[in-house]
Amino acid sequence: PVLADHPLVRGPRFRKLKIGAGHRLDVKASGVFVLGIGHGNKLLTDLYNCHLTKVYTVGGLFGKATDDFSDTGNLVEKTTFDHITREKLERILAVIQGTNHKALLMYSNIDMKTQEAYELAVKGLIRPMGKSPPIITAVRCLQFALPEFQLEIHCLHETQQYLRKMVHEIGLELKSSAVCTQVRRIRDGVFTVDDALPRTQWNLQSIQEAIRNCQLRVETELEKTL
Amino acid sequence: RRGLGVAAGPPSTRQLREAEEAAPVFQYAGKAARRKDRVFVWGFTYSGALGVPSFVRPDAGWKKPRRIQPTPYRLETEEKISSAACGYGFTLLASNTRDITKVWGMGLNKDSQLGFQRSRRDQTKGYEYVLEPSPIPLPLEKPQQTRVLQVSCGRAHSLVLTDSEGVFTMGNNSYGQCGRKVVEDEIYSGSHLIHQLREFDSRVVQVVCGQDHSLFRTKKGTVYACGWGADGQTGLGHYNITSVPTKLHGDIAGVNIIQVSSNGDCCLAVSDEGDVFGWGNSEYLQLASVTETTQVNVPRHLPFKIGKIKEAACGGTGNVVLTEEGNVFVWGYGILGKGPNLIETAVPEMIPPSLFGWSDFSPDIRVAHVRCGLSQFAALTNRGELFVWGKNLRGCLGTGRMEDQYFPWRVTVPGEVVDVACGVDHMVSMVKSF
Repeated sequence: PVLADHPLVRGPRFRKLKIGAGHRLDVKASGVFVLGIGHGNKLLTDLYNCHLTKVYTVGGLFGKATDDFSDTGNLVEKTTFDHITREKLERILAVIQGTNHKALLMYSNIDMKTQEAYELAVKGLIRPMGKSPPIITAVRCLQFALPEFQLEIHCLHETQQYLRKMVHEIGLELKSSAVCTQVRRIRDGVFTVDDALPRTQWNLQSIQEAIRNCQLRVETELEKTL
Repeated sequence: RRGLGVAAGPPSTRQLREAEEAAPVFQYAGKAARRKDRVFVWGFTYSGALGVPSFVRPDAGWKKPRRIQPTPYRLETEEKISSAACGYGFTLLASNTRDITKVWGMGLNKDSQLGFQRSRRDQTKGYEYVLEPSPIPLPLEKPQQTRVLQVSCGRAHSLVLTDSEGVFTMGNNSYGQCGRKVVEDEIYSGSHLIHQLREFDSRVVQVVCGQDHSLFRTKKGTVYACGWGADGQTGLGHYNITSVPTKLHGDIAGVNIIQVSSNGDCCLAVSDEGDVFGWGNSEYLQLASVTETTQVNVPRHLPFKIGKIKEAACGGTGNVVLTEEGNVFVWGYGILGKGPNLIETAVPEMIPPSLFGWSDFSPDIRVAHVRCGLSQFAALTNRGELFVWGKNLRGCLGTGRMEDQYFPWRVTVPGEVVDVACGVDHMVSMVKSF
């Protein structure tokens, strides 16, 4: 222990840090938010080009419709919802999955007439590798207790407002109305809620440990795709 | 409350909550709202087979004639349609009702396959093209009691199955496919003749039309056939025309057949034990697993080791079967559904279930029914989704694109698809709304 190493003599270790953000997260939403520090920013662009799916838990409420599709907006309409059953909801979700699966195949820019398109479709690996409108790869109903319900959505290239709009459209399809109460991202590519650091752990030690844990996984994922 | 000179300001939380509770509640669907039954059609329109006259003869100045309807279009019908069949340029729709009109037809009527449609311009002649679903007058003894169970269409003839009055046949009879004696130089256009067939060993439960022949399946599990036999599709042991429905023997003698299918010149039958039998044309390797000959005129058992078979469907050049586990197997010639490399095979090949939406996320998706058009295939899943593949002749696949489809592709229909009927260049589906 040399006196020259003491922080009060040397100054703070990090003066400036270059921090970049991964996929955007709304003010009203919560969940996993990926940040890149320093040299990690280059990895961020590579991860973006991998086009991996993100998983959200979306909570909704039947009976209300608001102008910005969430429960804090101005009320537009109130409707009845006692005719809605879990079966009807699952049917609508199956149709949504079907049309989005079609969009997945169409935006992936692969010629449908080739044998390799067929093989990729069988394995389920067809994915749009460029810009595309929001596509939902899978939806599942986790909880259903009128008037509330909760869905798990796997999607690509989406925004949280698009998910809220989708909840509103599900309400319209079921001949009622719905607003979105909660949007929470539980997975962003390789990063899950377990890796994410809560507010209490925003200090240097935990950040360094988290980076070390995720390094290997990020490298394998990048090699696999590119 | 507030003074006259004070501005309003944003409403407080309590005011918002009170306004929300005071808002009126709208009801769009009650608790007892029923799901409605709808019919969707798509494909080639100019033959009138889709039943939408404004596609062929636009009724408004801004409308243009539409030659092809590439995506499902809703057809308004008066009654709930329980059975539909597509022939070569014409369609039959049947309802299970006890009213007097039970069957409607539209499309080509050059051989009176839709019965006699009296023309309004000339009361003695009939229409050659019917653009709208028009009722077909059946000579029933008890029109207010008999119910129509099923309809089937071939190239130029149609069969209507009733529950107590046998089978009615109409249309072209130049090969005896209507089950009555062939009359030389008979003029079929504008004919009033509808023949009734009653002599079978038990009640007929399924009627199937091939291109120019007819198959009847009775409750006891026997199969009768009549019509053209040059490819052996009548299965009666000869290659001649049969004008009276005759019982089939061969490998299906004594076997309880639960389903028969035919579309072109090949026929398949499924027994209650899950075996499949075939006869007819084998030029496209449909029956090549048992014989090298290209015409088989006696039903032969097809020894496939793919499991117990639940349903079979015959196309023009390819066949498809569905097993009890919900797997789909295809064989024959043409676009079979496994990519552009698989053009012909004599042995059934399975189509991977992941193409029908099966995945780790939704592992309980199964194919429930398979249907065949002349060079198209259709599969219905238990979730009510419709998958099609094959040659996209004049937009008949309904995908919205005009290219051929080499692997199963979803058709977006606003509802749960209950049944689908495939023809040469158009398809009709019966859908339950959400």
